[in-house]
Amino acid sequence: MKSLRVIFLAAFLLMTSTIVDAAQTNCPEHYAGSQAPDFINHKLSFKAREVCYSEFGLMHSGVTRTPLYSAEHLTLDRLTLAKSMKRHSKFFPDPNIPVSERAELHHYARSGYDRGHMAPSADMSDEKSQQECFSLANMVPQVPENNRGPWEGIESAVRKLAKDRGELYIVTGPIFKGEKLQRIGGEVMVPTLLFKAIYDPKRQEAGAYLIDNAVGAQPQKISIAELEKISGINVFPSVSQRVRTRAMNLPDTRAHKERRQRGGR
Amino acid sequence: MAKKIINPFKNESESLQIGELTVENRLDRVSIYGSIDITRDKAGLTIARQLKEILDLTLAELERSELPEKIALVPAETVDNPFT
Repeated sequence: MKSLRVIFLAAFLLMTSTIVDAAQTNCPEHYAGSQAPDFINHKLSFKAREVCYSEFGLMHSGVTRTPLYSAEHLTLDRLTLAKSMKRHSKFFPDPNIPVSERAELHHYARSGYDRGHMAPSADMSDEKSQQECFSLANMVPQVPENNRGPWEGIESAVRKLAKDRGELYIVTGPIFKGEKLQRIGGEVMVPTLLFKAIYDPKRQEAGAYLIDNAVGAQPQKISIAELEKISGINVFPSVSQRVRTRAMNLPDTRAHKERRQRGGR
Repeated sequence: MAKKIINPFKNESESLQIGELTVENRLDRVSIYGSIDITRDKAGLTIARQLKEILDLTLAELERSELPEKIALVPAETVDNPFT
């Protein structure tokens, strides 16, 4: 009887681990170790669909009508090209997502929220990927002061870090916390927090920025293990536990305004 | 006639980047944020012309419309968190 129970338990563990490890992806090139993030909170996987674009991959939720994460592999070459990109783009509802699950432009209209990019437009190195990143599947309703201030500071600091380090894997996404959430346009859920997780494959270190989607919020720096607990997502399943539990020394971020005042970029 | 750089208040889709300045078209506003130097050179002239064009189009649209005192937002609803 006892051995039978052990077999059952073993079979159960095997099954769950298969589910958890089954990070099926059609665009492994965007993910560290070619492995897409895993959901620890399985409620996140309901109506979740991957969309693969040329310079980023994302997991879209038909429940929130937002991405749950967008992933990119940033390299010095890519960011050098991205710097010279002219950007005239158009936001668009994502044709890869069924109408019943996706955000439309009118959902955001008159909401007072910015359409906040998860994979940022300034990371894109050609016209095709530039336009692709304006998909609403890559957007969350973001508080304008946050999007244009400290969040832009995080994006900018990460680009600089990627240039210094040569390459980084980045996973960016919203977090929906608390009993109640705000919803705009009758369909699109407003995240309470945002994260940007960074993995340096050469130096074998990782960490994340975490910030409230609120006015006056400032980013916190945390380990990937802490992020897993808060977000319910294992963003870098291929990365060792040792690297995930130790927060790397991420650079301080400065909003655009402060950088200009100090004469730097 | 050349295509307009932006059609203020006519759509929720147009987005322009001028240097580090972002211009986004919405039905209830034109959002302009970031920062830019208009340098006293040819590049500065191009930027100044672009900004003028955007503002001229925006102003023309505002002047020809009947405007409320203050635009009203659609309030968000409060819903249960599906993930908790």
